[in-house]
Amino acid sequence: MGALDRISQIGGQISGNPTAGGRDKILQKRPDDIVVTACCRTAFTKGGKGGFKDTQAADLMTGVLKAIIDRSKINPELVEDIAVGTVLAPGGGATEMRAASLVAGFTEATAVRTLNRQCSSGLQACVDVANQIRAGMIEIGIGAGVESMSTQYGPNAVSEFSELLEGHKEAANCKVPMGVLSEDMAKDLGVSRASQDAFAAASYQKAVKAQKEGLFNEEIVPLKAKWEDPKTGETKEITVARDDGVRDGITAESLGKIRPAFAKDGSIHAGNASQISDGAAAVLLMKRSTAEKLGQTIIGKYVCASIVGVKPLLMGQGPWKAIPKALDLAGISKDDVDIYEINEAFASQCLWCANELGIPQEKINPKGGAIAFGHPLGCTGARQVSTLLYELKRTGKKVGNTSMCIGTGMGMSAVWVAE
Amino acid sequence: MASMLEFRTQGFNPYAVKYSPYYDSRIAVASSANFGIVGNGRLFALGLSAQGIQVEKTFDTNDALYDLAWSEINENQLVVACGDGSIKLFDLGVNDFPVMNFHEHKRETFAVCWNPVTKDSFVSSSWDGTVKIWSPTRNQSITTLPIGNCTYSTSFCPSNPALISAASTDSHLRIYDLRTPPSAKYHLVSSIPVHAPQTLPGAPAQPASAPAEILTQDWNKYRDTVIATGGVDRVIRTFDIRNPAGGALSVMPGHDYAVRKLAWSPHASDVLISASYDMTVRLWSDGSMQPAMNPNGGPSVGRQLGVMNRHTEFATGVDWCLFGMGGWVASVGWDERVLLWDSNMLMAGR
Repeated sequence: MGALDRISQIGGQISGNPTAGGRDKILQKRPDDIVVTACCRTAFTKGGKGGFKDTQAADLMTGVLKAIIDRSKINPELVEDIAVGTVLAPGGGATEMRAASLVAGFTEATAVRTLNRQCSSGLQACVDVANQIRAGMIEIGIGAGVESMSTQYGPNAVSEFSELLEGHKEAANCKVPMGVLSEDMAKDLGVSRASQDAFAAASYQKAVKAQKEGLFNEEIVPLKAKWEDPKTGETKEITVARDDGVRDGITAESLGKIRPAFAKDGSIHAGNASQISDGAAAVLLMKRSTAEKLGQTIIGKYVCASIVGVKPLLMGQGPWKAIPKALDLAGISKDDVDIYEINEAFASQCLWCANELGIPQEKINPKGGAIAFGHPLGCTGARQVSTLLYELKRTGKKVGNTSMCIGTGMGMSAVWVAE
Repeated sequence: MASMLEFRTQGFNPYAVKYSPYYDSRIAVASSANFGIVGNGRLFALGLSAQGIQVEKTFDTNDALYDLAWSEINENQLVVACGDGSIKLFDLGVNDFPVMNFHEHKRETFAVCWNPVTKDSFVSSSWDGTVKIWSPTRNQSITTLPIGNCTYSTSFCPSNPALISAASTDSHLRIYDLRTPPSAKYHLVSSIPVHAPQTLPGAPAQPASAPAEILTQDWNKYRDTVIATGGVDRVIRTFDIRNPAGGALSVMPGHDYAVRKLAWSPHASDVLISASYDMTVRLWSDGSMQPAMNPNGGPSVGRQLGVMNRHTEFATGVDWCLFGMGGWVASVGWDERVLLWDSNMLMAGR
């Protein structure tokens, strides 16, 4: 039978590698696998300026939910629950998202909830739905994420800390702004400005190339949006189909000229941190047996996910702790993963995590990341699923991992297989 | 080491060797081209004569051979475990082709063992995660025992025809009793976690070792509740199947790489021999003849009686000769060699 399987088996016996054969195992197709039969996202556009600057989060979500129905041809009545990760929405956006599902074509029978685990909300939504299916609570669900940073980003995101919280040192650290703590972390861990700029420039260059080659076409759903021209004050309807934060011609040298944003002698600036953006993404999940019964096309499968905590001031280390745990739960080694989608909150933390884990650069974010096209907080985790699965499929690879750091000091990661 | 008989399996890398249960001069070797990774298999039936080791017969197969077992009812027949998932029954009186072909396993068959008591059946295990029981006269298996992961080794208890053991990649040694009524457990009576921590009342908990694939196991020929296991973690352990949660009776660390094959002596209740990827074959006493060394409980540490290091590649198979004054063994390795030698010589220096 498979010579490569035999070689890897013998290799595993000799090296004593406890994860030998693990990849084999997760590549197996079982009827109770949780599979993805449709996934997509909107284009990501620049906060305050881009194509979606005048579009509400709920409208973005309506767009991707409609697209999920169109793409999968699923009967909307069969979808029992929708979880939407969203971070900045007042009231958690619960009311608006329920309304969005009805506009999108779901009936009153489909339940909707929102959740907030900061930057991993979109992934958490997918994982929650997968777990609901695995536990037998529902048969079919949608994990999604959305953020309109244009309309909802601002100082109201955190309320004043009470004296009680302020009096506890580690607790008080939870509200140190991301930029400030990342600046300190980069300094403490010795991540140089030059290496950050090189990483960020690579993200831009990969995204430009991917955009030119049309590699985002499968994942992006073009959406019509109303947009007010800031010069003329005229409102017109435009179709948004491409990430407008991606800029051509960016090099490590050009980034090297930008003034640091958080400290005079600092290393972090607008060019090597994630962009503020608007966007939405969704993932349709069900058991393989259900998908086969309904004749759904299986794009990939969800294997497992991990959630970890790290020090609030070192929140950027989240993926460094979450990725090994997710791989452990999947029973595979880091070399068994073909593509890592690590959210680029800051070049400094993403680069540090990848280096600590010994993940080769060519496996990380092959189509660029949040530095190049943006990080709509609640959306990112769900966005990564589309980006990853379509890229795995295009390149004929199989196993992928998504991860991100989470404000207040957490990390989350999940393992996926493309089919 | 003075006298050692040698045979070369030119072009084929042996995976297993077995002495005939009928003749002291007959040995069979299951071998594969290209280290069993891709290519044909060849079964050698060898005879010992005054002129050394001679080929009596060879049989070629389309895929690699990983194990073999002599028939217990017909001195001329034997079964082989084949890489394409089949098991083939060859007769030394019939040229070239197998007299029976048993093909149900969906992946590589890794082990076969003939029932030594009733002599009317044999058992096989496979990468497809199942153990199957067969009659040599029927093409379809009699029973399938689902394990769920690659099973490298299975065998019948030498004294009880209803007991079957199986060792797998998930670090568990499973015991099946065919006398139990058919149920959802498929005759599984115990599942011994080989790498679990020791839990003994009143004793400090022993740390668990990391789970690792078990590649080989064998029933003791005198104490019919004792099984030895060996595998990727390089340590040989013995277990009493009456106390599946009790942890190892004894441990034998020493091999530098995974233990590929082990066999208890048919002549002494405490002696076993093992072949390893570290290219050595080692002789051990499990320490059961000594008074308990460890009054606090916990496993006793066995003693290495000797090392045979004449193989120049992975040592993959080893077997004891049932006849004579006791102590002759056959070992094979990927160096394309079959070596017959007296294990007593390993102890001569002591």
